[in-house]
Amino acid sequence: MSNQHSTSLKPNLLKLIGNDLVDLRLAAIESNWRRKGYLNKICTPEEQKLVLEAAMPDEMLWLIWTMKEAACKIVQRSTGIRKYEPLNFCCTLNTQGIEISGMVSYFKDSFLIRSELQSTFIHSVAVSDIKDFDQLHLQYLKPGIAYKAEFNTITELYQLAGTPSGIPELTHQITGQKHAVSVSHHGDYLAVIYSDSLLLTD
Amino acid sequence: MMDREVIISAIKEVAAPYTQDKEALDQLSETTSFITDLKINSANLVDIVLDLEEKFGIEIDNDSMAKMLDVKSTLDVIEAKLAEIDRQ
Repeated sequence: MSNQHSTSLKPNLLKLIGNDLVDLRLAAIESNWRRKGYLNKICTPEEQKLVLEAAMPDEMLWLIWTMKEAACKIVQRSTGIRKYEPLNFCCTLNTQGIEISGMVSYFKDSFLIRSELQSTFIHSVAVSDIKDFDQLHLQYLKPGIAYKAEFNTITELYQLAGTPSGIPELTHQITGQKHAVSVSHHGDYLAVIYSDSLLLTD
Repeated sequence: MMDREVIISAIKEVAAPYTQDKEALDQLSETTSFITDLKINSANLVDIVLDLEEKFGIEIDNDSMAKMLDVKSTLDVIEAKLAEIDRQ
């Protein structure tokens, strides 16, 4: 493994949040994770064990996948570099009913995860500091071109827009400050997470 | 060495079933990104990697897979792996 990623991420990593959502019905149609070689390319041996020994292997796999993707969004937005390296994001889990918490490590960095497992979808949120969860808001919306307008109607204080490169941007209507935000969409579900406290500009 | 155009059309063929933007697929070029242009779900990038391994009889390691987000990088990885086989 090369050393180029081993340096710590930029300081703005601390101000970022990431989320990822999987529509379980669509995932069952789109992906055959049981095909030969698939698990080996995305899951560490420990994660493979979790999946293969789980009472609900599909849910476990997509839970792990959303954890990796949520953490990956923080890393990619921090470095500005896109890479496809699911094996470098290593997951550990604590499960209590439908409330799931976990951790994802990426070289020297680690991220805390909270996930929601429903019968039809799985949604994971990644932060750098456990305190960040306190001022985090989650809004589920109907996917489609109007979701930003819908979000802006619901949360009057914030304006959600997208940069030309497709990265979401959240502006506080009174202070003009940019707040940490992440959007994930898959199939019938769309989730926006944003923070009252994490500001992208000082 | 296999012609680049041949490899690009093989990449296009492999990507087709996972592509959600068929128009972008018709216009596929070296700069095409799998996720942003073809709207391929990131969980299906693994399928593309596995399909390409089968098609070309190559093994794609994780560091190579990390780069395979667009046609150009994928082409480079396939060419490098084929060259490795040629040398053996």
